[in-house]
Parts: sequence; C-alpha cells; structure tokens
Amino acid sequence: MTAPIVQFDGVSRRFGELLAVDDANLEIYPGEVLAVLGENGAGKSTLMKMLYGIHPPSTGRILIDEKPSTIEGPADAMSNGIGMVFQHFSQLPALSVYDNLLLAWPQTPFWTGRRNPRIAPALQTLSRLAPEVNPRAKLAELSVGEQQLVELCKVLNISARIVIFDEPTSVLTPAEARSLHGFIRQLAEDGAAVILITHKLADVEACADRIAVMRRGGIVDISQRGDREMSEIVSLMMGKEVKRTLSAPKPLKRRVQQLFIDKVCAEAPGAALHDISLTIARGEVVGIAGVAGNGQTLLAEVVAGIHPVTSGDVVLDGGSIARFAENDTLATSLGYIPEQPRQNAVVDGMTLARNLNLRALAKGARSDEVNPEDLLRRFNVNPPEPDRLAGTLSGGNLQKLVSARELGSFRSGILACYPTMGLDLAAIEMVYGEIFAQAEAGAAVLWISEDLDDLLVAAHRIAVLREGRLVAIKTNDGTLSRDEIGALMTGLNTSEAAA
Amino acid sequence: MNGFNRSRLVIAGVTCFAFITLTLVFFALLGKPPFEMLAKLAIFAVGDAYSISQTLAKTTPILLCALAAAVPGRLGLISVGAEGQLYAGAIAGTAAVLAAPALPGILLVPFMLMSAALGGAAYGYVPGLLRARLNINETIITLVLNYVSVLLVNALVFGPWKDPDSQGWPATISFPQGAILPALPGTRIHLGLLLAVALAIGLHLFFTKSRMAPKIQILAGNRKVGEMFGLNFGFWVIALMALGGAIAGIAGIAEVSAIQGRLQPTISLGYGLTGFLVAWLSRHQPLIILPVALLVGGVVAGSDALQLYAKVPAASAVILQGLLFATALAVPGIMKNMRFGLER
Repeated sequence: MTAPIVQFDGVSRRFGELLAVDDANLEIYPGEVLAVLGENGAGKSTLMKMLYGIHPPSTGRILIDEKPSTIEGPADAMSNGIGMVFQHFSQLPALSVYDNLLLAWPQTPFWTGRRNPRIAPALQTLSRLAPEVNPRAKLAELSVGEQQLVELCKVLNISARIVIFDEPTSVLTPAEARSLHGFIRQLAEDGAAVILITHKLADVEACADRIAVMRRGGIVDISQRGDREMSEIVSLMMGKEVKRTLSAPKPLKRRVQQLFIDKVCAEAPGAALHDISLTIARGEVVGIAGVAGNGQTLLAEVVAGIHPVTSGDVVLDGGSIARFAENDTLATSLGYIPEQPRQNAVVDGMTLARNLNLRALAKGARSDEVNPEDLLRRFNVNPPEPDRLAGTLSGGNLQKLVSARELGSFRSGILACYPTMGLDLAAIEMVYGEIFAQAEAGAAVLWISEDLDDLLVAAHRIAVLREGRLVAIKTNDGTLSRDEIGALMTGLNTSEAAA
Repeated sequence: MNGFNRSRLVIAGVTCFAFITLTLVFFALLGKPPFEMLAKLAIFAVGDAYSISQTLAKTTPILLCALAAAVPGRLGLISVGAEGQLYAGAIAGTAAVLAAPALPGILLVPFMLMSAALGGAAYGYVPGLLRARLNINETIITLVLNYVSVLLVNALVFGPWKDPDSQGWPATISFPQGAILPALPGTRIHLGLLLAVALAIGLHLFFTKSRMAPKIQILAGNRKVGEMFGLNFGFWVIALMALGGAIAGIAGIAEVSAIQGRLQPTISLGYGLTGFLVAWLSRHQPLIILPVALLVGGVVAGSDALQLYAKVPAASAVILQGLLFATALAVPGIMKNMRFGLER
C-alpha cells in the first residue's frame, strides 16, 4: 500500500469542558473513500475541521504527506489541495453559478468577461460533472442537489487531493444521492483521498472503501467494507444493539374523523397550494410524500395556522385552526414539529426549560405547564440541563427539544415535518415511537416526510404532493411500492401508476 | 458566574482606560495641558453642587430618550425616533399649556405631562403601525420623521404660537408658574429626573418580572414561534413603539417647561440620538441605562463648561461624546475577538 496522505496522530480537541475528539488515530490514503460514521455529536465534523484548519488540535498532531501540517485556516487548506463540501453550503444565492465558481477559484483573472479564455478551466468541471446546469442561472434557482454539485465543482477547481464531504446526502433526494455516490467513487478512482462524514448507512454501503466508526469523540473501529456486517457497525456506532423496530401504530377500531383540511388554497412567494382536501381520523397516520419544494413547507405552515389561507379551512376537533389574515392572533392546538427547528421552533436566547414551556409563557401563565427535567430526559436531549440556552444546542438536540415540547403531552392533532431530519438512529426510533404512541392514544397525525421507506412502513395512508396539489391519496395496504409513489412524485407515467 | 462578572469588569475597566487615554491625546492635540484639562472636565462634571446639578439636568433627557429607544429595542426594533418624539411631546405639552394657562399647577402639570406623552406616543404609533401592518422599516421612518417634528416646532414658534410681545424672537409666551415642573430650589434638577428614574425601574420590572415579559422575549427571539403560540407581533410593535414615543414626549415637555420655560426652536441638543446610543450600549436594559446615562450626562455637562471656561473649541463637547461612544462600542468587540484568538 502507498504512503498515507493524511495521518492523525493522537489528536484531541477540547471545547471548554467538552472533549469533542479524544485521542484519534487515523490514516487516510489516496485513491480511497473513507467513511467516517457516527451519531450526532460523535466528533466526526470536528475531526475533519481540524484537518481543514478551522480548529487546531488541542493535543496530538496531523501529518500531511508525512510532514506535520502547517494549515492555519480554510484558505490555507485550499491552497494545500484540501477541499471541504459543507453540510450548509457557502454560496451566494443571488449570483449566477458562473460567478460563484469564479469567486472561489484562486486563478480567476481580473477580467471575467465571457470571452476571456482564461476562465474556461473553471467551467470545465461543471460541464463534466453537471452538463444540465446552466452556468448563467442564478444559484437560488437551482435545486439543492444541483447547488451541491456546484459546491463540489468549487472544490474540484482547486484540484483538491483530499476532499471532505460533510453529511452530503442529508439534503438530497434519493436520485440525487445516487448520482453523488457515483461522483464520489469517480473522485477516488482519479486518485483523490475522499473522506465522507455521514450518519447514513446507505452512503457507506454505496461508496465507502473503509469505514471509521466514531463514538463520543473516539474512533472505536476501522474496518474494510465487507469485513463487518452492517448490524455490527450500527452497534459499534450506537454502543448498544439497536434493532430498527419501526411499525405502524394500530388503527383505532372506530373511525372518527378528527382533522379536516377542506379545499385549502394558499399562496406564498415561490409556492402555492391548490384545493388541498384531506381528512384524517383519530389514530390515523397520513404521510405526505413529495419531492422537496412542491409545497410541503407551505402546507405545513397553513395547517399549523402560521400562514393564512386564501380560501378553504382547517378544522380540528370541530373548531377552525386556520389563519385567515396575516394579522390574526391564533394559537395552534396542533402538536407541530416544523422543519429547521432553529429557525422555526425555538427561541435561541431562552433556556431549554422556558422553550419547553413556551405555550404557557405565551399565554402569560405564571407556572410551568410541564416539568422540563423529565421531558429532557425522556427525549434524550443532551445535555439535559434546563438552564442552558437553547441556542447552544446542536441541531439534532434542538430537534429533540422541539419533539419534547410538541409530543410531551397528548395532542389531538399532530403535524410533523421531517421530524427525524438530522437525528441519529436511536433518536429516530424515539421520535417515531412518541408520534405513534400519540396516534394510538387517539391523535390524528399528518406526517410530511422525504423517507419513502419509513412512510411505506408506518403510514396508514400516503398522499402525494406535487406542484402544490395532492395528486393522489393511497391507502397503504401493503401493495404500494416505492416506484409507484416515486412515479406519482415526479409526475412521470402518471396514468400507468394510477392504474 | 464569578468569572463571567470579572471579565465584564475587566472590559469596563479597559474601556474607561481607553477613553481617558484618547481624551488626553485629544487635549494634547488641542495644545492644552492634557492632565489639567482632564481634571477640569471631572470637576466641571461632578466637582461641586452646581456642576452636579448641571450633570443631572443633562442626564434627565438623555435617560428618558435612552428608555424611549430601549422599549422598542426589547422587541428587536431599531427606533431612532426619540428626537422627533421629544419635539412632538414638546408641541403637544405646550398646546395643553396654551389651552389652559390659568389652571393651578396641581392640575396643569399632570395635564401637560399627559398631553406630551400622548403627543410622543402618537409620533411613535405612526412608524409602529407602518411596521406592523405594511412591514415598512421602522428605522427609516423614525429617522425621517425626526426632521418633520423639529421643523413643525419652528413653524409654530415663528407662526401661530409666537409671543406677540417677543419682538421677533421665535418663541411662545413664557410658561405660567403653574406649568413649570417643580425643581429643587436653586438647581436645575426637576421632577423629570424623578420621573425618569421611576420609569427606568418600572420598565425593568415590566421587562423582567411581568407576565408580558416572556411574550416580548419570545417575539423578539423568534417571531414565527411567537405567532404559532398565539402572540400578535403587530400589536406589540405598535404598543412598544407608542410607549417609547410617550417616554420621549415627556423628555420634550420636561426640557421646555423646566429648562427653557417656553417652547422655542432648539429644545434638544441631540438628546434623541445620544439616548439611542446609550440604550444600545446598555443592551436595552433599563437598570444599566441609569448609570450609563449619568456618565454621558456628566461628559456632556463637563465639556460644555470646559468650552466656556477653558477656551477649547465648541466642537469639543461633541468630540468627547463621540470618543466615549466609539471606545464603548469598539473596545468590548476588540477584546472579545482577542479572547477568541487565544482560545484557538
């Protein structure tokens, strides 16, 4: 085997009290894809940010080409041939693809006119990687998957020898993820060392050569792919044997309609809903499937009473819960888990305890509605300190915090948007368990998800949202297939799929 | 917690040191003996009873204007309209006095104060309403409205409200005795200071202890979450903008009644903007605004006197204020960055 291009030699990193990375030893070789697998907060990103120069190690050293690394920051890392594709891209959405690429390219000439031959190399990668992307298009007009490809082009343009991907597939559709896996393999075959930070086993199965498993800051295992069963890797990651026990909640015997969405139309910048009608019974779980950006966010905000309807109504327990004008005052009675909890569901500057009690606080109540300690423990929020500010929690733990608030006591209606986004396996089980327990206790559940497999296992019915319309509502009787729903989502072969 | 407080003390100490150093440099550049001038500045601010009275007289409008900016600031709004609201309050308060000049003081003073508060509140209500209903930026509107009420005062005192016996001097009649805010005898410390301090303490309790406090905090932190739980952002925008305006309005009539004795063109020496900066430095916390306003009031009063007795240029007062705000804003930021640097 050739010499390692990167070596971590007893590297640790401390943030105050927290030991984020604990004595990591790891070699990375050119021409391979190394998957760094671990739960939220296991230290994967921190480890790679040390290589990228964002954080220097507290102790230990990093060797590049067998010489101690002198990298002091991202710019330095890039000029040393290390590129990183971040979970949240660093792009300028108002500029064109072309401008974004040129801005990140060190060799960009002063004059960037269209005919300047010196800018051609910066665009070649794009035309190779994603010929369908128009370089003149504004970045904001691209899908998330295309934006990620542009981000990847930026990294390839610096002719990186080491490419780090931080959770690259968490925002992609299955098809986009598959093509990204292809690019990752291609990169490795061209001789680069590729590091893939992920907590998705699917990524590992699709393209990793070697797998490093991290848990609580330490590297607990490094193996060649195929040496270990996936279940073995999962248990290494989690520290205990975990079985995926997702199953649909038992439907209630008597069918009583509880949540009515009645001919709802609504409009928002860039999205519209047309005539959405759906009725959900007590104890029923209805999944909404659809490619991201087909009106899911708007549907959620309309049902939650945040965005006004232009016509139609939403009724829960016999009372309207829709907002009819921007200035209405309306407290939703739904348990609502929105997407992106940091923007949509928590108050950063308040403590965890107060965030759990927002309903009571907003009503002007003096005493707490819920006991924060119990909830934090039950929903496994880490660290379970009620007096900590919510803004200091990691994304996964914020998601758990919101679940704790919304699912901590019984609600007659629940609206969950991507409720497991960014969570590790144990937390996913826990959140689904809580949602389905509510359904069994009589809640009507509307569940917006991008994970077709989970929907097919656990939803009683699946509605497909495309271009702001419910194009189909299918009973999930065991005969539904991934492909059938997929066809409805994309609108291809609709007649065939509907037949 | 202890370490946290200590680091704050260190920051405050370094800020003072930087301000004093820069002040010394400034005096040296003027060609004056720096240490002597600094000592004089301190003496003119707090050296004797008269200086203290002057300092407190300057503190009062600054404190009220700072509270006026802090109230909407608690909701995350940036209102720079205290100056205009101060003038609006002065107009409304003067209107009350002109309407019923013969009322006894026990009735006229509350009537005048109430009218001024309403005038200021109306002047805050307008940008509040525009922000709440049409999402028009409150900073711009409050900024431009400042000019309107300042010029409206000019229009009134040059026009309909001009004292016919003043022989061309643009001012209203002198306020009757019953419309003068009671003051400590022989000083310029008046009822307005008491009101301002009481307001600061009251607002502190309102923003920390009342049932409304968490509502405002939720809306300030995340409007979407607040609206999800039934809070009305628009209502609070209007309410807090109007409340801030009312406080600035009181500052206006207090200046007119207790200091000037009549409405005339220049009521405020930029108190509105000074107050805005004080509120910003104090992070909109009323109990921190109290000492900061006192400090700024001291610098203003001291440098005013310095200009009279030590023959420094008239601009010195403004320059010293500028140095104070610049150091107070820059030093903590610089120190924070240095600390992060060390942590790496």
